[in-house]
Amino acid sequence: MQEFVEFTLGGIAVGMIYAAIALSLVLVWRGTRVLNYSQGGMAMFTTYVAWVVIRDTGDYWLGFFAALAAGLALGAFLESTVVRPTIGKAPLNSVIVTIGLLILLEGAAGIIYGGQYRSFPAAFSVRGLKIGSFGLGISEADLFTAAAVLAAALALFLVFEYTSIGLRLRATAFSPGVSRLLGIRIGRVLTLGWALAGLFGALAGVLVTPSTFLYPNSMDAIFVLGFTAAVIGGLDSPVGAVIGGVLLGVLLSYAGGYLGSNLVLVYGLAALVLVLMIRPSGLFSGAATRRV
Amino acid sequence: MPDSAAALTVEGIVAGYGGVPVLNNVSVAARPGTITAVLGANGAGKTTLLRTISGLVKPRQGRILVDGANVARRPPENIARAGVAHVPEGQGVITELTVEENLRLGGLSRRGGSVRSAALTDAYRRFPMLGERKKRPAGLLSGGERQILVIARALMSAPRVLLLDEPSLGLAPRMVTQVMDLVRGLRDDTGLTVLLVEQNARSALAIADCGMVLNLGKVVAADDAAVLAADVALRRHYLGF
Repeated sequence: MQEFVEFTLGGIAVGMIYAAIALSLVLVWRGTRVLNYSQGGMAMFTTYVAWVVIRDTGDYWLGFFAALAAGLALGAFLESTVVRPTIGKAPLNSVIVTIGLLILLEGAAGIIYGGQYRSFPAAFSVRGLKIGSFGLGISEADLFTAAAVLAAALALFLVFEYTSIGLRLRATAFSPGVSRLLGIRIGRVLTLGWALAGLFGALAGVLVTPSTFLYPNSMDAIFVLGFTAAVIGGLDSPVGAVIGGVLLGVLLSYAGGYLGSNLVLVYGLAALVLVLMIRPSGLFSGAATRRV
Repeated sequence: MPDSAAALTVEGIVAGYGGVPVLNNVSVAARPGTITAVLGANGAGKTTLLRTISGLVKPRQGRILVDGANVARRPPENIARAGVAHVPEGQGVITELTVEENLRLGGLSRRGGSVRSAALTDAYRRFPMLGERKKRPAGLLSGGERQILVIARALMSAPRVLLLDEPSLGLAPRMVTQVMDLVRGLRDDTGLTVLLVEQNARSALAIADCGMVLNLGKVVAADDAAVLAADVALRRHYLGF
């Protein structure tokens, strides 16, 4: 019983990280129909920004918010420079460009910061919480992770549903042509979508890196699992991204706990293949077909 | 010569989709507060003319003046902001958004929350049907209701010029009459300038002030609507009634 509770709660905590990556992918996919393979690299790079700020100032929160700001800026910059020319062209163009960006970001991080593993601090204690003598399998840091991702997702939802910025974002995602005819400057909207995606990626990076160490490839596996979560949820659905992330986190936690933890990434990939075979549009998406 | 009194002037437009131009030296001048019917067979270039005016097709030659300012070759969102509202054929309601969200979207190019909410109130006053369905996804509306929604949405930006592409397409005869009456009412009440592309030449000329007939990308006739409607030879050759 204790094991089961530990695996479940621990899985939800990790799942929130996948959810944040999945949300960043969904934001970009909805707006630009681009699958951003460089999302993990962007998250890694902004986590280095946090690492530098924390090292130089000793202030965790300054580093935390510096990473989020860097994520916004990096997303906006990449969209308005190298991604924009690929939008509306053959899908392969954007695939090549975002894979190239990933290689560029990981290479640049290696040149600037070196390839060695760096420890990255957590915001709160990583000691397991207990009720009496009953271990819960999660820490204060895990609770903060879950709360931060949920708060960011809720804020995103409110912006989408209740503001004119959100209406622009949704309209541009559903129908860019009609939106332009209504005077919506969709270039700005797409840049904003990428900026928000960069923010969610940075959040995931800062939250997950205490348990992975920081190095130029540190987000690769997380990205694959975040991508899997996005596919499970349906790439078009922000709510699906969060549910997909948590579902994947819990399933992988059970698989790792009961079957052995060496193959967790393989189980994740198996889940991805299974969903693509059985329900390629995702569990929470409409019946729209996908090209990827 | 440009007509300085015109709300919309198209001068010597050459445009197409690569290769042979679809429009060859087409000119139009629409006076403020008038409806100009754009008529002709399939493939004559009617839709391309509207798409060129709204910036979806970039003209190779020619000028497009909206209240005297040349908007040719600007991106569509800038032309929309200059006062041109294009309602494309096949309507273009965003089915995933609610009726109200579709309407609000049409007003987002205007500054000021009070201006936007006043426009929304106006839209519901003019089209009570939309007010009754405002929380409903636009995808659940019937064809006629969608046509009214896209026209109402276009009006949210308080345009100078409304480009309407085949608003009667696929509608029941009773709805066609209703939509045509609506367009005429807009001209009479708000002084809107309308360019109306129609297959249904008879009902278009019935509400239009002027008309032009396109054939293979050239203007073959342009005159008062009544004169065109009375021209038996023109009707037999190009208008089909």
